[in-house]
Amino acid sequence: MRRGWAARLHLPTLGVAVLLLALWTALSWRYGAYVLPSPLAVVAGFLEILRSGEIWRHTAASLYRIAIGFGAAVGAGILVALAAFLSRAAREVVHDLLTVLNATSVFVWIVISIIWFGLSNWAPIFTTFMITLPVVASNLVEGVENVDRRLLEMGGVYRLSGRQKFAAIVVPSTLPYLIAGMKVGFGLALKVSVVAEIFGVTSGIGYIMNYSREILATQMVFVWALVMILVMMATDRLVFDALSRRLARWR
Amino acid sequence: MKLVVTDVGKDFLIPVIDRVSFTVDAGEFVCLLGPNGCGKTTLLRIVGGLEPATRGGVTLDGEPIVAGRPLQHKIGVVFQEDRLLPWMTLRDNVALVLRPLGLGARERDAVARRYLGIAGLAGFEDYYPARVSGGMRQRAAIARALAIEPDLLLMDEPFGALDAQNRRIMQREVRRIWRETGRTILFVTHSIEEAVSIGTTLIMLSARPSRIRELIRNDGQAEAAKLVDQLNTMIMEEVERQQGAGPPG
Repeated sequence: MRRGWAARLHLPTLGVAVLLLALWTALSWRYGAYVLPSPLAVVAGFLEILRSGEIWRHTAASLYRIAIGFGAAVGAGILVALAAFLSRAAREVVHDLLTVLNATSVFVWIVISIIWFGLSNWAPIFTTFMITLPVVASNLVEGVENVDRRLLEMGGVYRLSGRQKFAAIVVPSTLPYLIAGMKVGFGLALKVSVVAEIFGVTSGIGYIMNYSREILATQMVFVWALVMILVMMATDRLVFDALSRRLARWR
Repeated sequence: MKLVVTDVGKDFLIPVIDRVSFTVDAGEFVCLLGPNGCGKTTLLRIVGGLEPATRGGVTLDGEPIVAGRPLQHKIGVVFQEDRLLPWMTLRDNVALVLRPLGLGARERDAVARRYLGIAGLAGFEDYYPARVSGGMRQRAAIARALAIEPDLLLMDEPFGALDAQNRRIMQREVRRIWRETGRTILFVTHSIEEAVSIGTTLIMLSARPSRIRELIRNDGQAEAAKLVDQLNTMIMEEVERQQGAGPPG
């Protein structure tokens, strides 16, 4: 598990990265900084928002909205899965509803949330909620359906109460599905909420990217894209991978 | 303790068990034998209250066993698979089934340790099931069944997944545990050698729809080899009869 950075940055990837950077630099010379700012300009811009602290302001604003929208989606997903576990009828209804939600475009929710909530924080929050709910819930429902009936029968033989069976059998076997759903859901939340931030709010990564475009600071668009990528990779590594490793310690 | 099975029958579209009656006295070790598909496991599940009978009934010390209804008496079951919770250590797996009995945490722990010890797992209490062999997992499942101090212990081909060598070791172990604990055991197997080497009473079921073909006291009077031969002949006759009857339905 504990491998050095040297081993993780395998040479072929590094080679391709160098090649792409060279190509990027060449293209930026050819087409100019407005169309494609040079890598150096992007690095300079990144250092600048680090120094000014702007990076924290907008990242925090985005993460705050995601935390509420995505957090609510996880909570609602758990309730939905619970209903699906307790009743067969609920399971079928949930299945059908999730299919519909999964088929609905991000843009539908953005437009609707602007109509409903106006140009406020609630537009990105609501959009994030509606988009991540089906991902988290369908993972959880699948987990609940995959609870080993033979283990539940064993619990019945030894007369475990409903609550004991739930705590000892259902929750541990569903947890990996929850973590997997949250991992995918969070990635989606980050991608979706910044799109919703284009409209109507005055902070957040999506807002600042769109603003940078308007003032013709193309290098800052690239800088904030970089920030998004870093946030995504960091949460993947530090939160979700660590969680699933902890869960799998009995394997 | 007395288990009474009276005229039990079961239909799954076709009749699987026709009519079976027998009794098991306290401390007996009864083996249920029969050709594949004759309903041995179904009969065991009916006795354990895991499945309703179509006809007839089962009582344990006069208390009727009805599927889905809680029982005053305690029944432990060892299934074909170990059915341990993979996310709990062997000790926690055993301690879990002591919860409904109202034991405190420390007591549960002590009882779990004791029965894991009896099953030959001393020193492995804190292992997760995935970290021990299949034989050891089945030992833990036996420890779990014993830990509730059951009035009746049901075992459904518990060594079916083990290799021949481990199988023989586990047969000896179960025989030893039976002698040490004095439990009443109903044991399903398709292996005649296994039944003859561990059971005190052997019940041979006929081909589907099954009845009792033969009930044999295995008290060491009859020579084991002769008994095995005799039972092999019987089971061959039953298998032929079943195949002669053509496909079911």
